[in-house]
Amino acid sequence: MLEVVGLSKKYGKTLAADQVSFVVPAGKVGILLGPNGAGKSTVIKSIAGLLRFSGKVLIQGQDSRDLEAKRSFAYVPEIPYMYDALTVREHMEFITRAYGVELDEDELKALFERFELWDKQDKLGNELSKGMMQKVSICCALIIRPKVILLDEPMVGLDPGAIRELKALLIELREQGCTILISTHMLEMVKELWDVTFVMEKGRIRGSYAREDLGNGDLDELYFSVTGHEQTAEGNGGGTWEQ
Amino acid sequence: MVNRIKIALRKPVTYFYVALFLFYVLFLPFSLRVFAAQLGGDSPEGMVTVLTVMAFWMIPGNLIAYAKRKGLVYRNSDVHFLFPSPVSPKRVLLYAHLKTLVAQVLMNVFAAVCGGVVFGVSLWRLAVYFVFSLVVENLLEGSIMILLYGSEKLGEKQRAMVVKGAYGLLLVLVAMGVYWYFQEGLSLQAAASFLHSDMVKMVPVVGWYIGVLHLLFLGPDALNLAVTAAYGILFLGAVLAAWRMKCTGAFYEDAMKFAEDYEEVMKSRKQGDNQKRLGKKQKFGKARVIWKGQGARALFYRQLLEYKKSKYFIFDTSTFMALAAGIGVAYLYTRERGSGFFETFGPFVIPMVSGYLIFVFTALNGKWAKELKSPYTYLIPDSAFRKLMNATAMQHVQSLVNACLITVPGGVVMGMAPMEILLCIVFYVVLSANKLYALAVAEVVVGATLGAFGRQLLQLFIQGIAISAAVVGGVIGMAVGGVLQGYLLMDVFLSLFTFIFMVIAALNFYKIETA
Repeated sequence: MLEVVGLSKKYGKTLAADQVSFVVPAGKVGILLGPNGAGKSTVIKSIAGLLRFSGKVLIQGQDSRDLEAKRSFAYVPEIPYMYDALTVREHMEFITRAYGVELDEDELKALFERFELWDKQDKLGNELSKGMMQKVSICCALIIRPKVILLDEPMVGLDPGAIRELKALLIELREQGCTILISTHMLEMVKELWDVTFVMEKGRIRGSYAREDLGNGDLDELYFSVTGHEQTAEGNGGGTWEQ
Repeated sequence: MVNRIKIALRKPVTYFYVALFLFYVLFLPFSLRVFAAQLGGDSPEGMVTVLTVMAFWMIPGNLIAYAKRKGLVYRNSDVHFLFPSPVSPKRVLLYAHLKTLVAQVLMNVFAAVCGGVVFGVSLWRLAVYFVFSLVVENLLEGSIMILLYGSEKLGEKQRAMVVKGAYGLLLVLVAMGVYWYFQEGLSLQAAASFLHSDMVKMVPVVGWYIGVLHLLFLGPDALNLAVTAAYGILFLGAVLAAWRMKCTGAFYEDAMKFAEDYEEVMKSRKQGDNQKRLGKKQKFGKARVIWKGQGARALFYRQLLEYKKSKYFIFDTSTFMALAAGIGVAYLYTRERGSGFFETFGPFVIPMVSGYLIFVFTALNGKWAKELKSPYTYLIPDSAFRKLMNATAMQHVQSLVNACLITVPGGVVMGMAPMEILLCIVFYVVLSANKLYALAVAEVVVGATLGAFGRQLLQLFIQGIAISAAVVGGVIGMAVGGVLQGYLLMDVFLSLFTFIFMVIAALNFYKIETA
């Protein structure tokens, strides 16, 4: 389970996240939605412990700064960070060592084949394209078998095949009881994934919704009704979701 | 440009830069005057000498850069917005050239102030030089840049020939210098008279420009007038040819590649990685490590693997500098039969040189600064203290190697006791560690408010406090016991401060932000 309580973050005088609170229940997929600059990445980075913030973040009931909590969660950054001199495989060796996890060859092979990295495992970090880096970054997060996983705009830069695989994989993880939080503004990509969604705007949570509450309503409609933005895309017209 | 100035005015570091520039413009010329007078160069001839030396490497350097389609800095934003826009490619070239105009004006102001204060050049001559440099030189350089960088007729072979030609000019100048050396011997006077010689002025392009400088600052003679006329013809020809040359933007592809490389290198440098070179992909060899332990220990083994893949393992410029300094100290001590000018500091010459090298060469920040930018450093489930220890361990080993290189040659020649040599090595290692942890302390204190430069200044300031404490320790030790006690207290005081910095860095590890 992932619990965020009164999380606030300031960059100088700018309040990027203002008293953000939400809960992603265990084994559910939570989506952090919002337009550009809403504060989604700030919230995700704060949960991951990369930013200073005020408030509280609990991962599996433990403070996110505790080592036990750190052991149980993984983070996929929006911009993948690679070590230039390390091969794809060495990235996996490094991460599993750092998290004290046994590197299972079969598991690694399955993961690499799924993301078409099997024949690229000897490529260096500085030889990879942006999409490849994103795939390695996702593999690094999955190889530690996390109980909670945070993904910041994970579909950006991925090819259609990799997006399909990632979606399938996230559904499998959910079925295994993993708690997932995805930050995105690409509604189409997460339509079939989400269980709970939190719509952010200007650093604040404007609404929290569970799929079962939505009835026949659509995620697009919900989003646009909450943020007040007009739908312009063809086919997205029609009614608005009533809160 | 206006927006950049507005943003810059909001940053405290801008005012520091302005103050630094004013300091240099106002005070440096006065100190340079004393230096120039000592060397006997406080005359207009001295100014010509300095400008000649600059011309020697700048003109061929620019020719080579333009012929290789390098040297013009386009940012990714230029590639994105400017290249596809309906702006003439020649203007796009000139835009890149004009981006350096502010810096050129500032340099010319500095040169004019130096001309007046240091070299006693009359005001009207300086005014003419200022206008010449800003208008004529800029127009000529801009034209040559368009002709070489923007040319669509020059193939690879022709470009290579221009590059060879520029190197040829340099070779001719060097050959003349060697000839002069055999004729006149090696002295400052001989070097100056070579730079003012007629044969230098007759070298195409570079020499012609030097001839113009002679005419401007020293007055006319037959050769000055002749080469100035040649320079004038070159100027007119280049401007006219550049004006008429067809340019449809074939250079965009190379400029785009350069912009990408430039942005990548800049990004790496901001993250503390100084190893990336413009246009050159970093190469790594093959290596393996046997991973042992877990948690933060993985940081150590990952770094070890990276070092094993590096061309020079843990050795870099700081190793070379340490070796050169070690040999230099030993050589000078032998030649001077003592520490000469530094005799007052007696046995503390090596720690002084060590301190200077560590203070000046910032490469030590490299791996550690990069480690601080990686999200994985923070995500790894281990204590901050263990992360700090493991992420810096290899750099302590590197410091130990450097410390031995800088200390042992001088120490042996000076006849230092083994314990003194050992304490001297400890001083270097601890001071290097001090620098690493001072960076983390500076990160915690200023965060992103003062920028990278502000952080570096604070790091130097914090380190300055620790070094001052070490000096006090050394003085007390010398007063109480002797050299050995001086070394011991110096190391103890420095270690104490380093330990405090390390604890602050570890305790505040979680307060450092990666973004």
